[in-house]
Amino acid sequence: MEETLLGIREVSKHFGGVYAVNGVSLNIKGGGIWGLVGPNGSGKTTLFNTILGLHRPDEGAIYFNGKCISNLAPHQIYGLGLVNAFQIPRLFHRLSVLDNMLLAARGHQGDRLLNSIFLRKNWQEQEVELAGKAMQILESLELDHLALSPAGELSGGQRKLLEVGRGVMASPTLLLLDEPAAGVNPNLGKRIFQGIEDLSQEGLSFFIIEHRLEILFDFAHWVYVMDKGKIVVEGKPEEVLEDPAFYQVYLGA
Amino acid sequence: MGPLLYICDLIVYIGIFGIVSLSLNLEFGFAGLANFGKVAFFLIGAYTYALLSQIGVPFYLCLIAGALVSAIFGLLISLPALRLRADYLAIAVLAFGEILRLIVKSEKWLAGGDWGTPVSPIFPYTGSYIIYRLENIGLVFLCLFICFLVVQLLANSPYGRVLRAIREDEVAAEALGKSKAKYKAQALMLGSAMAGLAGGLYAQYLQYVLPGMFMPMVTFTVWIMVLVGGPANNWGALLGAALVQILARGTNIAKDYIALPIDLNDLQYILFGALIILFLLYRPQGLLKESQVKTKAIGRVRHGRNAIRNKGSQ
Repeated sequence: MEETLLGIREVSKHFGGVYAVNGVSLNIKGGGIWGLVGPNGSGKTTLFNTILGLHRPDEGAIYFNGKCISNLAPHQIYGLGLVNAFQIPRLFHRLSVLDNMLLAARGHQGDRLLNSIFLRKNWQEQEVELAGKAMQILESLELDHLALSPAGELSGGQRKLLEVGRGVMASPTLLLLDEPAAGVNPNLGKRIFQGIEDLSQEGLSFFIIEHRLEILFDFAHWVYVMDKGKIVVEGKPEEVLEDPAFYQVYLGA
Repeated sequence: MGPLLYICDLIVYIGIFGIVSLSLNLEFGFAGLANFGKVAFFLIGAYTYALLSQIGVPFYLCLIAGALVSAIFGLLISLPALRLRADYLAIAVLAFGEILRLIVKSEKWLAGGDWGTPVSPIFPYTGSYIIYRLENIGLVFLCLFICFLVVQLLANSPYGRVLRAIREDEVAAEALGKSKAKYKAQALMLGSAMAGLAGGLYAQYLQYVLPGMFMPMVTFTVWIMVLVGGPANNWGALLGAALVQILARGTNIAKDYIALPIDLNDLQYILFGALIILFLLYRPQGLLKESQVKTKAIGRVRHGRNAIRNKGSQ
């Protein structure tokens, strides 16, 4: 049996009287691409935000690598290797594309106040390495020629790519992606997923929200279907496609 | 001798307020913290210097103590203040500055209340005011140089990059593993220490402290320096400090030569107000644009980029 990487136990989150997430439990084991689908407003993004510590769960608990993370701050969860890319890219617009990438690196010695003044040698070399890695990722996203431009000058699709690239830059254990293929052209969407597959073969695990089911179902090996705050169906993509409950969620009836 | 004395005095002021301007630039320009209580930390440094020097503590220890006490207050105020939104933070620290000023104005037992208290100078009077001022220029600019070095190193480091990221989008920065509370508290602490150091130098130079020296207008003057010079550019903060001091002095001198129906000292405030509005409308980035983060890694990438471009054009 593979180890559980991300364990969600009976988690609920409500806003006022509305249960956005209602008693969700799921187990994500190490390796592979895990999908999360469901109609708009079914609570997918709220579930992600709760996992990331941006919301605190009202009930239930979340475990990452066996450690309870329900009460940790977002930056602490990031430090553990549980990283996300936002649905709407949140880039630092006045900073360069490369700066945006370098900010995502975990454990950069130069992020500390005293190191930045007194121990510059210690992190300069580390940063040269990080920048090399960042440039490689940017190259694979075809953004390397824009590395020194402000991120605010990127087009919508490029921002999306950079947001995903930042997630990869963190060398996470588990990367949450919220609609990585939304708002980019079909070809690029497919290319993003091919990149994701390559990375997953190198051992990185993904948990992905995606509305473009035709792409997601080609790549994911396990899919959760959410509706009205609950997981209603789960299984391998081909199993989900045969489940009548799946069609009920999407088509009503 | 008159004009030369005057210019030396101006240079001392540019140096002292250059330090304060750099400190606000660190807090506001880089970290996005709207510190409208700058004068409070200037006051803390000045009064700490004055009180310690009166009991015979050597001047360098007085300066360091002023910076430290101010830093502690910066840290303390960061605890409640950083939970507030940017605009509420501005009001909270503005009130803090006024409360402090009113406290030193009302007390009688510590530093003379409204009448203030004298500060003994570091450099003994040797019969020439010029020499006295030159000595002060040396001391002030040594301190300014150290502060400038620190903020330049910070600006061009991953640390400075994190501060800028928090300024741009603190939720995203937090989601990228940066503790915004820690970074903001550090920026406020360091900025307050610098303002405290400048306060000590100010007290020492004027040989006197009194509450009237620490009106809220001091804070706004420093804000003009940063906004005019260019937020997130340390050279800009210095340029702004120099320009605003020269403008302030200029109106003082012009007063004797130009007959106007209004007092030029009051006109100065009108000019400052107009200057802020004009800059925010037409040149919000200030005279000097934000400087980009420069580190060895960034330099290499830039260098590699240029090498490829040069090859292509051959």
